[in-house]
Amino acid sequence: MSKMKTIYICCGTGCIAKNSKIVLAEFNKKLEELGVSANVEGKEEEKATGKMKPTGCNGICEKGPVVKIEPDGITYFKVKAEDVEEIITKTIINGEVIDKLLYFEPSIKKRVRHFKDSEFLKRQHKVALRHIGEVDPTSIEDYIELGGFEALKKAVLQMKPAEVLKEVTDSGLRGRGGAGFPTGRKWNTAASIDTDVKYVVCNGDEGDPGAFMDRSIMESDPYSVVEGMTIGAYTIGGTQGFAYIRDEYGLAIENMQGAINTARERGLLGKNILGTGFSFDIEIVRGGGAFVCGESTALLSSIEGKVGEPRAKYIHTTEVGLWGQPTALNNVETWANIPIIVTKGGSWYGSLGTMEKSKGTKAFSLVGKVKNTGLVEVPMGTTLREIIFDIGGGVLNNRPFKAVQIGGPSGGCLPEDHLDIPVDYESLVKADSMMGSGGMIVMDDRTCIVDVTRYYLNFLAEESCGKCVPCREGVKRMLEIVTDICEGNGREGDIEELLEISTMVRQAALCGLGKSAPNPVIASIRYFRDEFEEHIKNKRCRAGVCKPLTTFIINDEKCKGCSLCKKNCPVNCITGEIKKPHEIDIDKCVRCGNCINMCKFDAVKVK
Amino acid sequence: MKIIIDGKAYQCEKGEYVLQVARRNNIYIPTLCHSDALSGLGSCRLCVVEVVDRGRAKVVTSCIFPITSEVEVVTNSTKIQKIRKDLLVLLQARCPENEEINKLAKSFGVEEERVNRFKLDKTENCVICGLCVKACEEMGTGAISTIDRGVFKAISTPYGDPSPQCIGCAVCANVCPTNAIPVIDKDGEREIWGKKFKLQKCEECGKEFATEDHVKFAFAKAGVKSEKILCEECRRKSSLDKMKNAFPKVEL
Repeated sequence: MSKMKTIYICCGTGCIAKNSKIVLAEFNKKLEELGVSANVEGKEEEKATGKMKPTGCNGICEKGPVVKIEPDGITYFKVKAEDVEEIITKTIINGEVIDKLLYFEPSIKKRVRHFKDSEFLKRQHKVALRHIGEVDPTSIEDYIELGGFEALKKAVLQMKPAEVLKEVTDSGLRGRGGAGFPTGRKWNTAASIDTDVKYVVCNGDEGDPGAFMDRSIMESDPYSVVEGMTIGAYTIGGTQGFAYIRDEYGLAIENMQGAINTARERGLLGKNILGTGFSFDIEIVRGGGAFVCGESTALLSSIEGKVGEPRAKYIHTTEVGLWGQPTALNNVETWANIPIIVTKGGSWYGSLGTMEKSKGTKAFSLVGKVKNTGLVEVPMGTTLREIIFDIGGGVLNNRPFKAVQIGGPSGGCLPEDHLDIPVDYESLVKADSMMGSGGMIVMDDRTCIVDVTRYYLNFLAEESCGKCVPCREGVKRMLEIVTDICEGNGREGDIEELLEISTMVRQAALCGLGKSAPNPVIASIRYFRDEFEEHIKNKRCRAGVCKPLTTFIINDEKCKGCSLCKKNCPVNCITGEIKKPHEIDIDKCVRCGNCINMCKFDAVKVK
Repeated sequence: MKIIIDGKAYQCEKGEYVLQVARRNNIYIPTLCHSDALSGLGSCRLCVVEVVDRGRAKVVTSCIFPITSEVEVVTNSTKIQKIRKDLLVLLQARCPENEEINKLAKSFGVEEERVNRFKLDKTENCVICGLCVKACEEMGTGAISTIDRGVFKAISTPYGDPSPQCIGCAVCANVCPTNAIPVIDKDGEREIWGKKFKLQKCEECGKEFATEDHVKFAFAKAGVKSEKILCEECRRKSSLDKMKNAFPKVEL
């Protein structure tokens, strides 16, 4: 009999949404019906051949559900329940590859057998995401098998806290939540204060639109976070940890809680860890979903049970943090990096990334109008072009690239001529954007920058805590101006007023969120000022997004009369005979944009 | 220790706030959300100043910036004045008819056309500085709080209903920098935050000086029983009378 095969079924949030659990159930059913034995690493019930468990996110959510068959080294994408029988009879029993389910690698225009051979994965360097898609997040054995908790053992049994601190400092690791404060320095301050009670906090309140790195880490590899936090506590002398996770992240909370419970049962958390006398425990605090609670001081307020409003950081939270005690607060991704830094050493981590101040790797969620949507992790200093075009496969439907938004509501849209800047903390700030937590949204020519700016201002208007005047009133008024511009009511002097308010808010707001709130405005005007001016003066939205400023027309020379636009027009305002140029009745048109999106001959234009 | 404010040296204690030192020395820094009786909020941002520390200038909030080293403070640079003016444009756009805001806006030369660019709500007087909430909290009542967030933030009693915790003391209205909280005393009754209270008469002079609930709350909090309920003036007078005879007359 041939070697037992294992079927890994991705049960990350993205794949679950695409029915991976149904695929999983189908596998279980069919395997039994056909009398084939194989390990199915998925979820649900116990089966004779082995324990069923989910694997975490594989990163390429857009092409899910992802099914991996090992040791054959075959990866299938977009697997449906109907495909299951074929996979079992062909691949599991006969070892045949089903070509149509393989990944199509655009660079060589061929399908690749194993996903690892794709450009998407080949160019990545997984450190923080090292276990994601490889382990069952509910199984501590899986984690231990891949070297889990070795770092904790090494730290508490062989190293002094100061030695661990030295490794973390040497690694050059900086906060992955966005601002990039050196982790070693943060810990050093907290460690140097002599007091009985110190706290360790994990910020899992990921709130940037389009960002899901932290979510995936907590869902797919919770033990790394638990281990990282425990090492952090050992280093600074922490006694209690809190994992602040937004309540919307149900699976993340479930898996983190499971990891905490199991680690505690195994003596890796709780009292007298590994018999060393060192005690530390973690409690999960569920956040109410306020974006501002991702700001450190607001987050601590929220844990204390107060209104989640930031305070000035003239005294750092490392000195006076949670309930007035020294607190080491780091982001999920930062914590997940700690175990591997301790295992492999600070200098190993420091050898990744840029030579200057941005060491290591960074995870991004690559989303928007890009072919390969998903989670990517690259060494710092990789260019935007490599991430979007080589890993991401380029712009969806091969439309022209317009901008990439980085750093969430605190970042900005960068244009094409900035694609060659290296992704590191300093370069992005210089470009009026920000590393942020790692959301990366690709936009094509059908995206209106003024409209995108309006979107982010609207987000901030709702998600600012509203405590200080510059952020609350400033964002409100900037939103008012930008909305006017989108609706065709922009006035002369609006751009200047936007810049005036932006500059003031940047200087005078209370917290980091407020200070960076004008970034979307400043970056958009810096790179796309002509588009703002076109909206205000010519009353034209070149992307055809702002409806009052859009008029669609059909170019007679390009139109082949295929009538696709006509069929898809919801108000029947397009007329024309087959194979003859069509025409849009401007008075009836509702500017939905269906025609321009459908046209295969680039014949529909914005006037 | 000493710090330099606008080129002149001043004495101060470590940990004192810049605003405290400036005010003590009659240096003008505008504020809305500051009260000497309450801890700093840092929400109105009008009190921003520049602090030069080891050669680097940064904008800080003087009401909550503690002095920990001998820094140099600039309270009225062009940059600071511009920030304050821009803030007042926003504040005036929020409360276009408010007397206090208008006075400040005028003194900083806010141009009308900048304010008029925006949609204005002439009935708004609250700048959500949060002083009222802080005062109510300190009072021990906690009847009001901020609700919602972002541009929807407001001050309210729970669910906008009359609060069982409210004692009608009106400390919120007293600390309010823009007189945004209406208190109506009429026919022996006070109305505030949608709740009516009976007013207490001074048992000596007959003046209505507080709500009955407030008096009850104050006595319970202090843990004392008084035979007579007196207004502040009469109370002072009565204790003076007692003091007068506290010591036997000494013949010299």
